[in-house]
Amino acid sequence: MPREIALFGVYLPNLTLLFLLTLAGGWVIDRLVAWCGLYRHAWHPTLLRVSLFTCLYGALVLYVYH
Amino acid sequence: MPWKRIVSVVFTLLVFAAAVWLVRSMWLHYMDAAWTRDGRVRAEVINVAPDVAGLVVEVAVHDNQTVKQGDLLLRIDPEHYRAAVQEAEALVAARQAALAMREDNAARRADMDERVVSRESRNDAGHLAARARADLQEARAQLDEARLNLKRTEVRAPVDGYVTNLNLFAGDFAERGEAAVALVDSHSWYVYGYFEETRLPLIRVGDKAQMRLMSGEELSGRVEGIARGIYDRDNPESRELTADVNPTFNWVRLAQRVPVRIHLDPPPEGVLLAAGLTCTVIITPPTGEPRAVPQRW
Repeated sequence: MPREIALFGVYLPNLTLLFLLTLAGGWVIDRLVAWCGLYRHAWHPTLLRVSLFTCLYGALVLYVYH
Repeated sequence: MPWKRIVSVVFTLLVFAAAVWLVRSMWLHYMDAAWTRDGRVRAEVINVAPDVAGLVVEVAVHDNQTVKQGDLLLRIDPEHYRAAVQEAEALVAARQAALAMREDNAARRADMDERVVSRESRNDAGHLAARARADLQEARAQLDEARLNLKRTEVRAPVDGYVTNLNLFAGDFAERGEAAVALVDSHSWYVYGYFEETRLPLIRVGDKAQMRLMSGEELSGRVEGIARGIYDRDNPESRELTADVNPTFNWVRLAQRVPVRIHLDPPPEGVLLAAGLTCTVIITPPTGEPRAVPQRW
């Protein structure tokens, strides 16, 4: 997987695109978890949500860069 | 419900720890790896200049044409140089005649008795003959030069390559030594990766390099050399023999970029290289395992 993508003649890091992708995917997962009511059992729901989003982004980036 | 509470705290902390670990590996991956997005494909460009001045009577190539070494690029009006050859030939003939005369004289006087011809006159005759011989040699050298100039009115390609940005036409006047045609050497492709100085310890001569052009093609090569000097932009030149140091803001400093020269393996079939293309360069040690990162903290 390349590290960057040429968009309209501009060389963009893939990190930015992956972030947008994670934003969309993370929102879906977040809504699903909330719908199941799992956040009600969490210690600090905000910390858990941020951590989950970061994990998703980090895993995606490391997978792509390897 | 303390048991349930413990599970929820531990689970949240575990996810948080995983996030921290992932962010750290991302950081290391991004910052402590020898790669740059600032790579350029380059080639040796030869500025072909005619060795003789004159009117251009023929430009034998067109823009972007591929040429082989020795192919005719342009022809300069040879009339002047042809006349110069004739003039030099005439001079050689005249000097030959003069030499024959001087040698005859010297030989005649050498045979004569001292009562008939003085020793001075006899010696002079010999020296004059030697002088005439030197004159002839000079004339022959001039003839050689005139012939060389005539030959150089045909400007030929010094290497295989591509004519680029041709801006010379029949009827132009070409000056001697002034570049007339740019020729991109087709055997000289290389890549300059401009690496931040913080990444230089991760690079050694001989490392493998993987390149990706902006258009997506992959190239491979190896590190051929690392530049040992770049321009100091904070002290461009001294005036009145004192240093001219730029007062920089000390809080933030940018890493300088040092060119790393990469020798290219033969590019895959169908890849069109042009000097100036952008590429990403990723450098890996030949063994494959990452190089130890210098301690920065």
